[in-house]
Amino acid sequence: MMTASLLNNLAPLAMLAPGSSGEDAPASAHLAHMVEHVDTGPKWILLIVFLPLLGFVLNAIYAAIGNKSKLPAWTTIALLAVAFLATVSMFLSYDGTPYTVHAFDWFNLHYGEKSFVANFSFYIDKLTILWMLFVTGLGTLIALYASEYMSHDIGAGYCRFFSAFGLFVFSMSCLVMGDNMLMLYLGWEGVGLCSYLLIGYFYKKPSAVAAAKKAFIVNRIGDLGLALGIYLTFVHFGTVEYAALFSNETLHHYIDAAVAGDFSAIPGEAQWIALLLMVGAFGKSAQFPLYVWLPDAMEGPTPVSALIHAATMVTAGVYLIARFYPVFLVSENALPIVAWIGTITALLAATIGMAQFDIKRIMAYSTVSQLGYMFAGLGLLSTTGAAFHVLTHAFFKALLFLACGAVMHGFAGQLDLRKLSGISWMKGWGIVGITMLVGCMNLAGLPYITSGFYSKDMILAEAFVTPGYRLMGWILVFTAILTAYYTFRVFFRVFVGDQHAEPGEDFHGDDTSHFHPHAPGWAINTVLIVLATCSVLAISLAWIDKSEYHGWVGSMVADSTASFHSPYAVSLAAAHGEGDPHAVAGPVGYGAPGKILGMDPHGGMIVVSGLGAIFGVLVAAFFHGPKGWQGLFLGGRTEAGKCRMDAVARRAGPIPRLAENKWFVDEIYEAILVTPLRILAHIFHWIDKLLLDGLVNLFGFLPRVFAWIIRPSQSGVLQGYAVSMAGGLAILLFVVLVIVLRAGGAA
Amino acid sequence: MEQIISPIALYLICAIGAAGIALALPRRARTRSLEYAGGLLVAIALGGAALALGLGAADAGNPMPNVFFYPFALVAIGASVRVITHKRPVYSALYFIMTIIASCGMYILLSAEFMAFALIIIYAGAILITYLFVIMLATQAPTGDGDDDLDDVDAVAREPMLASAIGFVMIGLITAAMFSGIGELPESKMTQAQAADAVLAHLPKKVDKILEREGVLADGWRVVRDHETGLAMIDVDARTIQIELLGEDEHGEEGVLATRMLGAEDWPDALAADNIDRLGFNLMHDHPIMIELAGVILLMAMLGATVLARKHTELEEALKAAQARKLGTMFDDKSHGNGFDDDGHPSGGHA
Amino acid sequence: MHAFDSLQLAQLAFPTEMSTSVLAPYLFVSAAMFAIGLIGFLTRKNMIIMFLCTELMFQAAGLALIAFGRHHLGSDGQTFVIFVLCVAAAEAAMALALVVLLFRHRESLSASAWKELNG
Repeated sequence: MMTASLLNNLAPLAMLAPGSSGEDAPASAHLAHMVEHVDTGPKWILLIVFLPLLGFVLNAIYAAIGNKSKLPAWTTIALLAVAFLATVSMFLSYDGTPYTVHAFDWFNLHYGEKSFVANFSFYIDKLTILWMLFVTGLGTLIALYASEYMSHDIGAGYCRFFSAFGLFVFSMSCLVMGDNMLMLYLGWEGVGLCSYLLIGYFYKKPSAVAAAKKAFIVNRIGDLGLALGIYLTFVHFGTVEYAALFSNETLHHYIDAAVAGDFSAIPGEAQWIALLLMVGAFGKSAQFPLYVWLPDAMEGPTPVSALIHAATMVTAGVYLIARFYPVFLVSENALPIVAWIGTITALLAATIGMAQFDIKRIMAYSTVSQLGYMFAGLGLLSTTGAAFHVLTHAFFKALLFLACGAVMHGFAGQLDLRKLSGISWMKGWGIVGITMLVGCMNLAGLPYITSGFYSKDMILAEAFVTPGYRLMGWILVFTAILTAYYTFRVFFRVFVGDQHAEPGEDFHGDDTSHFHPHAPGWAINTVLIVLATCSVLAISLAWIDKSEYHGWVGSMVADSTASFHSPYAVSLAAAHGEGDPHAVAGPVGYGAPGKILGMDPHGGMIVVSGLGAIFGVLVAAFFHGPKGWQGLFLGGRTEAGKCRMDAVARRAGPIPRLAENKWFVDEIYEAILVTPLRILAHIFHWIDKLLLDGLVNLFGFLPRVFAWIIRPSQSGVLQGYAVSMAGGLAILLFVVLVIVLRAGGAA
Repeated sequence: MEQIISPIALYLICAIGAAGIALALPRRARTRSLEYAGGLLVAIALGGAALALGLGAADAGNPMPNVFFYPFALVAIGASVRVITHKRPVYSALYFIMTIIASCGMYILLSAEFMAFALIIIYAGAILITYLFVIMLATQAPTGDGDDDLDDVDAVAREPMLASAIGFVMIGLITAAMFSGIGELPESKMTQAQAADAVLAHLPKKVDKILEREGVLADGWRVVRDHETGLAMIDVDARTIQIELLGEDEHGEEGVLATRMLGAEDWPDALAADNIDRLGFNLMHDHPIMIELAGVILLMAMLGATVLARKHTELEEALKAAQARKLGTMFDDKSHGNGFDDDGHPSGGHA
Repeated sequence: MHAFDSLQLAQLAFPTEMSTSVLAPYLFVSAAMFAIGLIGFLTRKNMIIMFLCTELMFQAAGLALIAFGRHHLGSDGQTFVIFVLCVAAAEAAMALALVVLLFRHRESLSASAWKELNG
């Protein structure tokens, strides 16, 4: 599969890359054009980065002075809101030319001909703006949500939460806006730290501590790849600054060679950069095999899960690959690996998600699965599709998490979908139910009416039209069906049907016997409504600039270094735009775009994935629908439904059990990685203890032995010393005497 | 060395002496036979040494020391052996006095009679008495006469064998070293008479006195002094003395009336510088700075001994507080005019 | 008559130059006394006796000095014995003060009572 390189098929299409001015313009021309002029931006851009940092500092001060009010939350919300407004104005004032904003000198080393420059500066292009819009926007909304959600923890914990929250947004801004790879790395580690701190927020809970450590350690593996990738970039290209890197002549030559299919002209070192960066992206974005930390990360408070582990931080990997897309293009194997890993992850996580009972965990696995889609999109040369999916996913997944969080908040931490039912009909829970429905429809990708459908469709279509990747397309469609199933399994189980709820174990000090589910307050409801609205409005993004850029997100990506329009997508868009696939000749030397079920790709996708989603929903209704729907032959929550379920489960053999146990991936890792490492560590420990410590101790021990031998001579008794003195004098006298006598004898 | 003592005899004597001392050193034992045996061995060694030295000298026909040397030497060494072997410190100190007295005998044989008496006065009379005082001050009186009543400090010697071996190896080595070099000792350049009388020139008044006492000088005569150095005009080698008659001449002026040369035949036997003359002259004339230094050393030793042996009294807390108060008021008073009022009277009286 | 007159004694003891064979026995006595003093210093535990033994060694040195002085017919030997005496007196004063001080602290005259420097 790897040998079937995507780019090998691209050779004839090189001139199709947007930005190419003439017939003979090389593929790298767009990239060169993008970074040809890098302006100096206005300083107020720095507000976006440093306001969250100010929030961190202020909250730390609040913690120090023992604030016991909602002040930390309001401070954070206000600062993030200002940052968001600044981001919006940055978006509105952007004139198409990327620019840098210099904060202060960080690394500015010059030695001989070479230099190492990595300043605390920010590089703004449309990719950055796209990411910053939802990072600050969602950050503000989720901070508002958290102000209510975390209210039971007001005091030091509240301050701690919001200071880490501020630090996270700051780090994420550095990651996204930094103008060099070291800034990216700084942000990368910063968000990792905040993730660790917030997963371990309930640090008195052993499982939370373990989850925090797991997240941090698994991310180490990815971070090592990223660090090595940055190192290799500097070694090979001599710079870590984006502007310098992307205007690097060598890189342009490589891209031209890659598009021409001549990967042998590109040194292995340059190809390795992408593979190493890819490992970093896999770690941060929870891709197979490094995804295991993300489900456990749900130990953190739900706003954290929503912001960090669904909407923003986990998309850092996507951002990384998008940002370094030119570097990935020059690697023969990187993008196919990204595509296939993404696909495998999507499928694997979806199967696990089907068999879980903890709704937050289901959402976590769905996040992993959707991230898999994004990676598949990246790997399939559809940066637009990936970025669009990042955006829509950020909205609807944050929405889903926050709705789940509202349930968790209201039902004392209850997350088991078997113990909750009919929440939507309970008093005060209507908004949660409706918004949850919107979120579920987006995640399931119901055709036409959800934004999730459009973004996913873009990736699926890309898979189907790319020669050699049709299998991937079918796998992704199958995964979409599974996604629809498990999403609506949650919805049908928890939000509709008979009203029933067993409280969880977190009572916040209330008495168990007096449990009342407390409905979400205005803050939570507002945030849910806003997010649901955004999710719906995001549909429109698919139609803005559709003919030229494949949607608004496409226009954002096109104006960045991530832009590399797949020739298939170009031909696809052209075909779709004209409405008649036969009217448009395929790109030169390629022919017409591929077809699905005899239809043009987009039309086919609407049918295939749309029907698939509806089918998944129906299956969910069939097994999990409330009793009242029995007439429709759908209500699965009856004895009969249970029997049907068991029958299916029996027929499926061990698969449901395996899926429920997450395919025993954690156990396999434990057995093949952790245990051998632990054994190795024990061996090294003993080697260290016996051999190295032994050597060191021996060197300490030898003088002690010598001392032990000669110590009695230091009796401390005066006469002992006198004896030595007299003996020494006698010896001296003897020597002198011998010398004198011998001299006398000689004379 | 060969003509003085045979090396084999020397080393044998040393070995026997070492064994004897080792046996004689104090130890806790039922019987004292070991100590007697040790004493016997020491005696044998001493006798052997005396015999060997005497025989060696006699064989070679060399002059032997005065016959009194032998008792003095034996007493000195025997007593010093007892100093270190006696279990009771007081006896040790007394034996040490005996050693000193025996040494003084040898000093006299070596014509250092002044030092001999000085030694007795200073050592036996002062230092050893101080030792005795300290012994009595710092030692609990033993409850009985038996050795068992003694403390281990006095009753048991530590490592007698090793120490004796080292000590007698030292004797052997020192003796061998001295005897091997003794043959090359430069002989004195002066004759005995010269050595004894060279100092007379520095002592013109003493010469006058002796000559007057011996009746050599008539009334009014004296030894001629050198005008520049003030030395008496005495030629020790030729045994001649210039004398002069002082008095008023016919003009009534003081002056030399006549000079004369006394020949060797007039040199009285009694005209000789004795030991004290020479020692005093040597001390004062040749080593003045060392006398000053010795004075400083003695002064510092006196101060040091006073400071060290002073009894450190622990003050009671109340007493301390009282003292502090007293000091405090004193300082307060000082600040108000040194504790005295303007008239110079102690300020206490007026209040 | 004045039988023990210092003058006569000097004449008596100063008949002739002293031969090395006369000097040697004195030196032997001196060496023996020194060694005995040394042995005593090394073996006896009582600090007072130890200091007594140092005095013994001073004596031995003094005897050697006087014997050599006699051999050379000079007075320097005796002069040095005066200084030795002086040092011995100073040493005795200091040493005994120390002994008293140490005895007050440990109620013991044993030199072994002070061995804080043992290894």
